[in-house]
Amino acid sequence: MNAIEIKDLWKSYGDVKALRGVSLEIKEGEIFALLGPNGAGKTTLIRILAEGLGYDKGEIRIFGEKLSKKTARLIGYVPQESIAYDLLTVKENLEFYADLYDAPKDKIDALIERFELPAKKKAKELSGGFKRRLNLAISLLYDPKILILDEPSTGLDVPSRRKLWELIESFKEEGKTILLATHYMEEAEALADRIAIMNEGKVIAIGTADELKALIGEESIIQVEGLLKGIEKLREEFPKLIEKDGILRIQVKNPRESLPRIVEILISQGSEIKGVKVEEPTLEDVFLKLTGRGLE
Amino acid sequence: MKLRAIKGIILKDLKEIRREKMVLFWIFVFPLMWITLLGGIWGGESPPITVDVGVVYFNETTPFTAYDVVKIMENVTIEGVHIFNIRTYPSENSGVDALKHGKIDALIVFPKGFGANITRGLQAKVYVYFDKSDPQNYQIVSGAIKGFFSEFEKRMQEKSIEITFQYMERYMPKETSISIDEIKKHLLAMANPLVLEEREVKGETASAIQFYVTSFIGIQFLFATMISIGAGTLEEIEKGTLRRIAASPATAWDFLIGKMLSTFITIMVSIFVGITYAKLVFGETVFPSPLGWLIIFIAAVFSMSLGLAIAMGTRSIKATNAIVNLISMPLLFLAAIVIPESILPEWARPIANYFPLGRALKDLRLLELYHRPASEIMPDVLWLALGSFCMLVIAVLLYNWAVKRLK
Ligand SMILES: Nc1ncnc2c1ncn2[C@@H]1O[C@H](COP(=O)(O)OP(=O)(O)OP(=O)(O)O)[C@@H](O)[C@H]1O
Ligand SMILES: [Mg+2]
Repeated sequence: MNAIEIKDLWKSYGDVKALRGVSLEIKEGEIFALLGPNGAGKTTLIRILAEGLGYDKGEIRIFGEKLSKKTARLIGYVPQESIAYDLLTVKENLEFYADLYDAPKDKIDALIERFELPAKKKAKELSGGFKRRLNLAISLLYDPKILILDEPSTGLDVPSRRKLWELIESFKEEGKTILLATHYMEEAEALADRIAIMNEGKVIAIGTADELKALIGEESIIQVEGLLKGIEKLREEFPKLIEKDGILRIQVKNPRESLPRIVEILISQGSEIKGVKVEEPTLEDVFLKLTGRGLE
Repeated sequence: MKLRAIKGIILKDLKEIRREKMVLFWIFVFPLMWITLLGGIWGGESPPITVDVGVVYFNETTPFTAYDVVKIMENVTIEGVHIFNIRTYPSENSGVDALKHGKIDALIVFPKGFGANITRGLQAKVYVYFDKSDPQNYQIVSGAIKGFFSEFEKRMQEKSIEITFQYMERYMPKETSISIDEIKKHLLAMANPLVLEEREVKGETASAIQFYVTSFIGIQFLFATMISIGAGTLEEIEKGTLRRIAASPATAWDFLIGKMLSTFITIMVSIFVGITYAKLVFGETVFPSPLGWLIIFIAAVFSMSLGLAIAMGTRSIKATNAIVNLISMPLLFLAAIVIPESILPEWARPIANYFPLGRALKDLRLLELYHRPASEIMPDVLWLALGSFCMLVIAVLLYNWAVKRLK
């Protein structure tokens, strides 16, 4: 059974068209990632599902039932920003939200323990990682079947991010369906069973990470590292090119012919090349192929 | 309506308020400062006044002289306090000079021959100079001095009647149809046709402290109530928690009910604290009757609605604070919250009468301070209730509009 079904969803804010005909099916028990750059419409889609944000057109079903206030309790939502009240302690925050959702109070202590939260600390004294975990605990109070997370690891350091990923995976083991939005392809690749790539309010591809990478088809990726000059010149001949942190990734059909040509152009423009290798494609390369630009 | 959710919202609000130092200041410390300040300055018994009087007189050798009058003046007391503080000046000019410089409040000049005239039973003259530049002070000073002289005159008349009478007794024929006592009575009545006897009554009038306790209640409605509900709601909109609450099984209406109740509870607690505080510090207070509490409740609904309407209209905490202060500061005075209506200028009276918070406070004072019957106030209370209800509807519509914008 599909946990979430979205058909031809449209939403605009005044003149800004945030969603332009999104259709998705998310299966029960899977981790599904929405991957896309800033402004792609991920948060808008999530807020329609989880916060009852109004939309212009489309159909949404949660476990077969039309999205409504009644289905709200099936969905737990972890927004990007903290929803805890700063002056209340961790425990008081959980108590408040338990009242709000009419959730059993005895879940509170179990959640505090599971997320290793400091019960008596005020929310404003928590670090970013703990705030995120408190958000998570709040949305699990009423044991929703679907958990939706918006940019769960944005702004977290590497250990906090790992910890969060582990938690998310443990929810999947408990049978929850998880929808997360991210613009980190590593996050999508590490966690998600399936990924929808979004751009400018549309879903442009859906599939497992491998399926998506297969979209690149015969093409290979040549990665060049070094003090690089003449990238614009190179782009004239090899348009599918992205540069990030001093690393150049170029999609080519025939690496054996293209590689010497690329090196030749770069050196003629005064580059100092440190290393060259032929690589497996990443999701970012998929996005590049589909949209002609990078994820960030 | 989800009762558990509403209860949760109220508890959460109260916990937040308890920990928010600024809110605590506005709700508890600031109004108590007002009571202390106003009560300290204008409350309590006003001490008996003393008047600085300059005198000019000449040395005489008659049995009774101006000096004797001055001595009597020096000894006049009210409740043990000397009224006249006498300073002697050598000449009329130096006395007038001192008066002009504000060193004394009045100057009394006993001209040459004053003692001689009095002793001989002739009319004696006294000149009094006043400084009229401060009309209020003039009234007090001239009242005290004229009062003294009229009393003094009366005593002199009694004295001269007594002397006259001694002569009469000596020369009256013993057998007359009219008794001596009868004549004596008539003569006394000629001198003092009217006897004014002062009797003190502990009236039903309000003390200054009681007035300021009601002022304090008005201040709570003008500031703390409006800012607290307005800023509180805006904060939750800005932080996104209202969106979250609206997305939960509870609704935006549950939130509004919870917010209003928590604000109401907080304000009631602070009013209660103020009432008790006045009792502890000044020994008196106003404890409203049930109808008084009803008026307070209606005023609270009006004030919360106005605060919420301003907040939802501006959708900015800063603007809400600014507008509330801009409205409320002048209204403290113009709506007769901290000053009595009787001293308002004519043009401001309608504000005190038609701005619901001013009117509510006026009714509360009529009821609790001046003990007017409830039936006299009832029609007003109905109008106030209607006004508050209208304000509530406006606030709710604006709130609804703001919540819709979130979606
Ligand atoms: N409340 C709003 N009012 C007006 N425009 C909005 C609003 N929220 C989002 N938008 C616009 O809608 C588009 C989609 O935004 P959205 O936040 O859904 O993107 P996103 O994929 O979540 O991006 P990000 O990675 O930055 O979070 C953007 O152009 C954004 O500017
Ligand atoms: Mg977003």
